Amino acid sequence: MAQIFPKWTNNLPLIISFIGVVVAICVVGSIWYFASPWYTDVGYQPSQPVEYSHKVHAGDLGIDCRYCHNYVETSQHANIPPTQTCMNCHTIVNANSEKMLPVLESWATNQPIEWIRVHKLPDYAYFDHSAHLDAGVGCFSCHGNVTKMEKITQVQPLSMSWCLACHRDPAEHIRPHEEITNMSWIASSTQRERAQKIIDEKNISPPTNCSGCHR
Amino acid sequence: MENKDKKYWRSPGQLKDSPEYRQQLLDEYMTEHSEDPNQFSRRSFLRIMGASMALAGLAGCRRPVEKIIPYVKQAEEVIPGVPQYYATTMPFGNSAYGLIVESHEGRPTKIEGNPAHPSSLGASNLFMQAAILNLYDPDRSSKVFHKGKEKKFDEFITFYKELFDKLRNEKGEKLAVLSESFTSPTLSRIKKDFEKAFPNAKWIAYEPISDENRLLALENLTGKKVQPVYHYDKADIIVSFDADFVQSESDSITAAKGFGAGRKITSPDDKMNRLYVIESGYSLTGASADHRLRLQSNNIGQFVLSLAKVLNQRGYNLTELSSNATIDFNKEWLEAIAGDLQGNQGRSLIVAGRNQPQWVHEAVYLINEALGSFGKTITFTEMDDSLSSSLDDLKALKDNLEQGQIETLIIVGGNPVYNAPIDLDFDKLITKTKSTIHLSEHFDETSSKCDWHIPRAHFLESWGDARAVDGTPSIVQPLISPLQNGISDVEFYSLISAGENKRGYEAVRATWGKLIKGDFETGWKKVLHDGLLENSSSKSITPTLNNSRMTEPVAAQVRSDRLEVVFRSAHLYDGRFANNGWLQELPDPVTKLVWDNAAVMNVKTADAYNLQNGDIVELAVSGRKLETPVWIVPGYAENSIGLGLGYGRKKTGRIADNIGFNTYLLRSSGNMYLSGDVEIIKTDKKYKMSNTQDHNRMEGRPIFRETSLAEYRRNPEFAREMVEHPPLKSIYPDYDYSKGYQWGMVIDLNTCIGCGICTLACQSENNIPIVGKEQVGNGREMHWMRNDRYFAGDDNDPSLVVMPVTCQHCVNAPCEQVCPVAATSHDEEGINTMTYNRCIGTRYCSNNCPYKVRKFNFFNYTKDMPEIVKMAQNPDVTVRSRGVMEKCTFCIQRINRVKRTAKKENRTVYDGELQAACQQACPIDAIKFGNINDPESVVAKAKKIDRNYELLAELNIQPRNSYLAKIRNLNAQLNKD
Repeated sequence: MAQIFPKWTNNLPLIISFIGVVVAICVVGSIWYFASPWYTDVGYQPSQPVEYSHKVHAGDLGIDCRYCHNYVETSQHANIPPTQTCMNCHTIVNANSEKMLPVLESWATNQPIEWIRVHKLPDYAYFDHSAHLDAGVGCFSCHGNVTKMEKITQVQPLSMSWCLACHRDPAEHIRPHEEITNMSWIASSTQRERAQKIIDEKNISPPTNCSGCHR
Repeated sequence: MENKDKKYWRSPGQLKDSPEYRQQLLDEYMTEHSEDPNQFSRRSFLRIMGASMALAGLAGCRRPVEKIIPYVKQAEEVIPGVPQYYATTMPFGNSAYGLIVESHEGRPTKIEGNPAHPSSLGASNLFMQAAILNLYDPDRSSKVFHKGKEKKFDEFITFYKELFDKLRNEKGEKLAVLSESFTSPTLSRIKKDFEKAFPNAKWIAYEPISDENRLLALENLTGKKVQPVYHYDKADIIVSFDADFVQSESDSITAAKGFGAGRKITSPDDKMNRLYVIESGYSLTGASADHRLRLQSNNIGQFVLSLAKVLNQRGYNLTELSSNATIDFNKEWLEAIAGDLQGNQGRSLIVAGRNQPQWVHEAVYLINEALGSFGKTITFTEMDDSLSSSLDDLKALKDNLEQGQIETLIIVGGNPVYNAPIDLDFDKLITKTKSTIHLSEHFDETSSKCDWHIPRAHFLESWGDARAVDGTPSIVQPLISPLQNGISDVEFYSLISAGENKRGYEAVRATWGKLIKGDFETGWKKVLHDGLLENSSSKSITPTLNNSRMTEPVAAQVRSDRLEVVFRSAHLYDGRFANNGWLQELPDPVTKLVWDNAAVMNVKTADAYNLQNGDIVELAVSGRKLETPVWIVPGYAENSIGLGLGYGRKKTGRIADNIGFNTYLLRSSGNMYLSGDVEIIKTDKKYKMSNTQDHNRMEGRPIFRETSLAEYRRNPEFAREMVEHPPLKSIYPDYDYSKGYQWGMVIDLNTCIGCGICTLACQSENNIPIVGKEQVGNGREMHWMRNDRYFAGDDNDPSLVVMPVTCQHCVNAPCEQVCPVAATSHDEEGINTMTYNRCIGTRYCSNNCPYKVRKFNFFNYTKDMPEIVKMAQNPDVTVRSRGVMEKCTFCIQRINRVKRTAKKENRTVYDGELQAACQQACPIDAIKFGNINDPESVVAKAKKIDRNYELLAELNIQPRNSYLAKIRNLNAQLNKD
């Protein structure tokens, strides 16, 4: 009687298990990466109703972040400026630019501009801008170099593990208070010692337990 | 009092160990499965979701676009994310409560008492806390109606202006105004304008629940309108005749605070006041009493006279009164009270409840005067700018209406068709006029009978003012524009009095120009900031009483087998809070009923008529009949039936309608509060009620600890010694909690009155949903803080104790040890935290919690919440979804807020900077909360008091909460055990 299975099938279990391992690694790896905020959130760059350029305003013109986001040091929210803030300059500067149309319309009709949220934390996470600025965490640490962005893009995953990494060891991100909005500030080689001095001075102890952010 | 063997029980069923009770014990959440009866079932939901998931598939992975909408022009003082606080006032009949209201981006979310206000003193009552939900009531009326047709407010103004000219030409001959009572400088000024424009018109006030009998008694004896102000804090002996002064009488906050001040003992050497309560029902004041005597309300007046007789024999000049005494009551009691009163001259206070008739109040004031209480524990102020409720005026109005003397009837607030005495037939009377106008928050029973209905603004949407009970003028300022196009009281009064549509702001400013001394604008700004005019209480007067004018006492009813009914107001007040879900779902402190009222009676009375809980009876009061269910509460007086007012609404809203039974149908002008003409007939119908008395049991353990003052002095450590256990050792390694903030709480059971305000304040602060009658029946109420009520003693005359229980924040928390996903864990400040987004809803934690304080979201209770109700939610607290466990967080949002503020200022949080919501609202300061690591903090000091004990400490779970045991200051003469 002829054999039903040819000889090469003796290797079949080995081949199947090898393919199985490769597939498993691929599946786990792709979920690991493609389902993580590093893939789903980083790089999010929606088109805003106004073609507003942070590069021009914050970069080329060098306007401080806090001119528009003026409550960032007093409130948990870094407020989006009211139309009025735009009109402080734009009644004189570029008042007839086409890009200004939605702003002028908002100003004339008293209807707010509906901006699209780029940096979003889950509803059950409570983040306070003012506390972070007070500790000396610069805007750059979470928002990236805004002065180079035509359109605001999310550059960090804003995930819990990412938050916790800094909460467990904030030294890399603590800078002197006068430098918090400076996008081109470069940490020196003595960053850790300098940061430690600020941490001790201000008694900075970022919470790492659930109640720190979730309530 | 022997307390080690004292048995505490929650319901007659538990005492008798009935089969129904046994069954209930078995299952915490009852046997109902988790299908929402109003929704489609879980299985069909999954089927449909399966299909749509396949379609939605990848699109579901996309991140939803979320908008940020800034202002166009930023309001100068609004910082997004930082709440603002405004001072305003809640007018309430002849009282007024000062408030501090928290507002998020122009949206009021939380009400607290104004510490500077003499009537609220920083604390709250139930109605203050619940008022925020009334503001966002989606069923409030938002439109003007004329004979069922929608009209514009301008059309009403045109109509009224025409009418106004005609009425003025007639000098108001055929005009009558029926309003609510008020004490307000502006309303009173406008009323004077009204009287000038319409000299012959009538303006009367009616409130279904009022202090009319008390005020009439004083007016009769003194010859002028005076308002009594009670100083419970100065009284060492308090005797209450049917007066539930800590909860349901007027100005209960100051009363509770004063009463509590006399019971805050920190060591066995401290003095403590003594409270006697003689009552028919079981009130919270009765529960707080050191000695309580059950007596039918109808006989309480005679007891007062007997007391006068005994005092007369002891040398007080009360001959007139004592000559009327006809019954000999329990001699021991009378002698004990009289002895205490005599020994505490000028430091005693006797009060009678609002349901007692005028003559009883007169007798009580005469005794108080003889005992030298005037000017000490009771002071009086003249009633300025006030209009109080008058039943006689209402009866006169009825006659006028019947004889066709009134053509135009304007009803400002109130709901007389629903709540006027039934014998006045108000619904028929109202049709005997040519035109009727009704201003009200809802299109209610009265509105539907009137020609015109005008929507009324909430007090948080209005300008106005009111005087506190001591006369201090306080300002009512709006926090938000009328959400439902309501017209404020001041604007409406101005319109009817002058025919002008004047802005409320101007009307109020015009009045305050005369009140504020010095520069007006500076003074006005200060008033707006403080909420009241500083140092402006009315001068207190000490009137002399003329006892020859005393009203003839009504003869006693000696037969105790004769039934009586007593009408009482509870959580819905007179029915105006009927559409408020928080108040509907707050268990009654004594009956523990929710979403219902019932005919409440004691065990013996129920046995005599062969009645059980839930049996429907037909009550006949003076021939008027009503079918209502029975609820049995041990400790009521024999044959005394309590009836709650405010239920059985028909035309108010989604929450109020068809809930409970309308007891106003039995209430006539001859027996507003009491009636002895009652028959009871059992029907064979049954009615299902939801009751929380047997929920969340902590079976058979010494939970509540109390003793007498004498016993406490003998053994100050009694509370801790009540439980003996071997040395406690944990298998888990110890964590070092000795650094930083360590949060902890102490609840003083000696001052706690069990009013339930902590539950409501917590509900408001922490976005706790209401679940409805049926779900409460299944044991699924969501309250993070509950008030356990226990009886002790026999079921005929038991004592009653109340204990607020919330998460005890155990250091060795049993819930944390069983959570499979670490959704509940400890933080380094000792708080047992809950991470909702981790919770998968196994409910192991709740099962393992010895206190039963964890609550599970069986449904997504907030999903179908109308948008306008969502505005009441606190933005600093997560709104929980279905399938998530939740519980007390020690108000973590408040802790984090003060910690951040302190950190920014580079300091530590100081004691008193932080208050938990329950603590802040508590009228009696029974709750202390703070950093127990700070030896100087109030809470750390409280934990060192010898009465301090921890609930179930023998389980070695090391709760962060603890309790101070209750002490009763017993009179040795009455305590023979």
